[in-house]
Amino acid sequence: MEILIQQLVNSLSVASVTILIGMGITLIFGLAGIVNFAHGEFLMIGGIATWFFVGMGLNFFVALLLAMVVVGALGFVAERCLFRFTLDRPMNGFIMSIGLSVILQHVVVRVFDEFQKSTPDPLGAVWVVGDVHIIAMRAVVVVITAIVVAITYFGITRSRYGLALRASVADQATAELMGIPVRRYVTGVFVYGSILAGLGGALMIGLFPITPFVGSVVITRGFVVSLMGGLGNVNGAVLAGLVLGLVDGLSAGYGYPEWTDAYSLVLMIVILVVRPQGLLGGTLGPKAS
Amino acid sequence: MRFGITLGLPLVAALLSGIATQTALAEDGEIKVGVVAAESGSFVSAGNTIAAAAKLATQQINDAGGIKVAGKTYKFKLFIRDDRTNVDTAIAAARELVNDVGVSAVWGTESHDFSVSMAKITGSAKVLQFTGNSSLGGVLSDESVAKDGWLHYTFQTEPQEWQRSTSTAKGVLSLVGPKLKTPPKHSVVFVGNDATGQYLSENYVTALKAEGQTVDLVKYPPDTTDFSPLLTRVKGLNPDVVHFWYNGDSTLIAFPQALKLGVAPAYFLFGVDPGIYKERGLKADQPVTMSCVPMCWGSAPFQAVKDYFEKYFALGAAKGPQSSVSLLYYDYFFMYAKALEQVGKLDDPDAVVAALEKMQYQGVVSAVPLSFNDHHQVTFATEVCLAEPGSSDKFKCAVEAPPATAPKAN
Repeated sequence: MEILIQQLVNSLSVASVTILIGMGITLIFGLAGIVNFAHGEFLMIGGIATWFFVGMGLNFFVALLLAMVVVGALGFVAERCLFRFTLDRPMNGFIMSIGLSVILQHVVVRVFDEFQKSTPDPLGAVWVVGDVHIIAMRAVVVVITAIVVAITYFGITRSRYGLALRASVADQATAELMGIPVRRYVTGVFVYGSILAGLGGALMIGLFPITPFVGSVVITRGFVVSLMGGLGNVNGAVLAGLVLGLVDGLSAGYGYPEWTDAYSLVLMIVILVVRPQGLLGGTLGPKAS
Repeated sequence: MRFGITLGLPLVAALLSGIATQTALAEDGEIKVGVVAAESGSFVSAGNTIAAAAKLATQQINDAGGIKVAGKTYKFKLFIRDDRTNVDTAIAAARELVNDVGVSAVWGTESHDFSVSMAKITGSAKVLQFTGNSSLGGVLSDESVAKDGWLHYTFQTEPQEWQRSTSTAKGVLSLVGPKLKTPPKHSVVFVGNDATGQYLSENYVTALKAEGQTVDLVKYPPDTTDFSPLLTRVKGLNPDVVHFWYNGDSTLIAFPQALKLGVAPAYFLFGVDPGIYKERGLKADQPVTMSCVPMCWGSAPFQAVKDYFEKYFALGAAKGPQSSVSLLYYDYFFMYAKALEQVGKLDDPDAVVAALEKMQYQGVVSAVPLSFNDHHQVTFATEVCLAEPGSSDKFKCAVEAPPATAPKAN
């Protein structure tokens, strides 16, 4: 029984980082219409930046905030200098993002090196309840993710900006006629999604070491979550992230462990066949006139 | 006239000296050797050590005056290629080195299945290949290393897997046993599910069973970063010892997670040097053993090995989890150089192979002279170390001699 409870606890923490990655992708893809395959590298840079700032002697959580700023700035530059020119041709943007991901990997390897980077566990504590081990940092990751999800959800569904954003997605031309600066919203969404990637990377390096190549591993899961949940749908990303976390935890615990990744992908295929719009439905990006 | 002689003699002398220098330069030549290694990608920790060892060995040989072959002096010139832990890139690099650059020998690569693919290119071009992959044992045979065999020019520079697995298993259990309340009986081998992991773990499981262990094998997807669900499964098996086998980078991600989840009363980390254990400040309340491939950086058994690592890092090599892997490549530059000198010509790879087959060479990696068996494989010992509980830098180590025969599972 303890093992089952431990697996459920694990699933929640596995799901948290996945949700952060998936949420960034789902916002950028679903609301800005940009397929950014370099999103995983944005996450990696968030982790590396955190490692760098911690190495300079900063507190982990201060480093985390700085890493979010760094990746947000990176997202701003990428959107303004690159993706802005591909908004009418998403496939060009997609291919460009693949190139960008390789370039970012090599830049990090050149500036630092190709080896694993790690930070000391920011909290270090482990709470043992019965025989269930709850790692304090993982609990913090879950809490931070919950807060970010809540902010994002209410920002999109309840705020004036969220309303304008949704209007832009529904009908770009009409939104522009109504005075909504759609391009600026696209930039804003891209930067916000990038900040989430930075946060994800920072939290990830708080949990375990990362390498300059980790982005290519996590990006697949990010897209799985965003497609499974429904593009642009924050609730969908959360639900899909939780489902994936549960599938990972239970399949690793009770299925063939070496097939853990395959279970998630099979589930995604089934969902996309049965519900092409994702679990909770979504968008396909801004509809150009 | 006198003026002419005064001015002319030094001029003639200078001209003659210039001609002599030019003749010496003309006599000096270079021997092109290639290195194919993962300098990026998932196998980088092992791969980068090949290039670093190659740089050190060739620098030492060249600085000592190079190689004398048939009265001429030659120096090694290295051509290093990054295979990016990608088999297609490794094959392309091997083709380029063999066909375009014209190397006479290739070192690498560390990724097991890549080496076999590369051997098909080097072998047909009669280019020697030195590769530290024990999985070559699956294809090195009487037929394949015979003069017309496809692996005639390939040499396996680490011991056969059953030898390494057996000495490792013996070393781990003998160091861990006294630290536990009861002797360990149940082991779980936790391994990446790729070609190398499958091959290596098969031998290690057999070796553990031969030592009387009940063994469960748990495989994980190779790119796993969050190991907590898999480690919880391992914990549910109630092991006495969890053996993290074989990728040092993955192990360094998984091991701290295992400690936090309280997975087992003892651990073994394959291919993790004590040096990196100390550098990372790793610490456990439980006994943690680690084996090196083959002699440990951070707790070297012989002075020669200590000296080697000093020079290795002084040359700028990175302090990675598997720095000791470099020892699988270093000595063989000197063996190759010696073979070329013995043969006395550069254009006879068959004679070089024959010389290597007969050679005894006292290198750094082994306390006894290195030699290749009939299947072009070497034999030497493995060092296993125990990190004292609660310590990052106190190690007790043992050098386990390789067994003479393959183990049979009980």
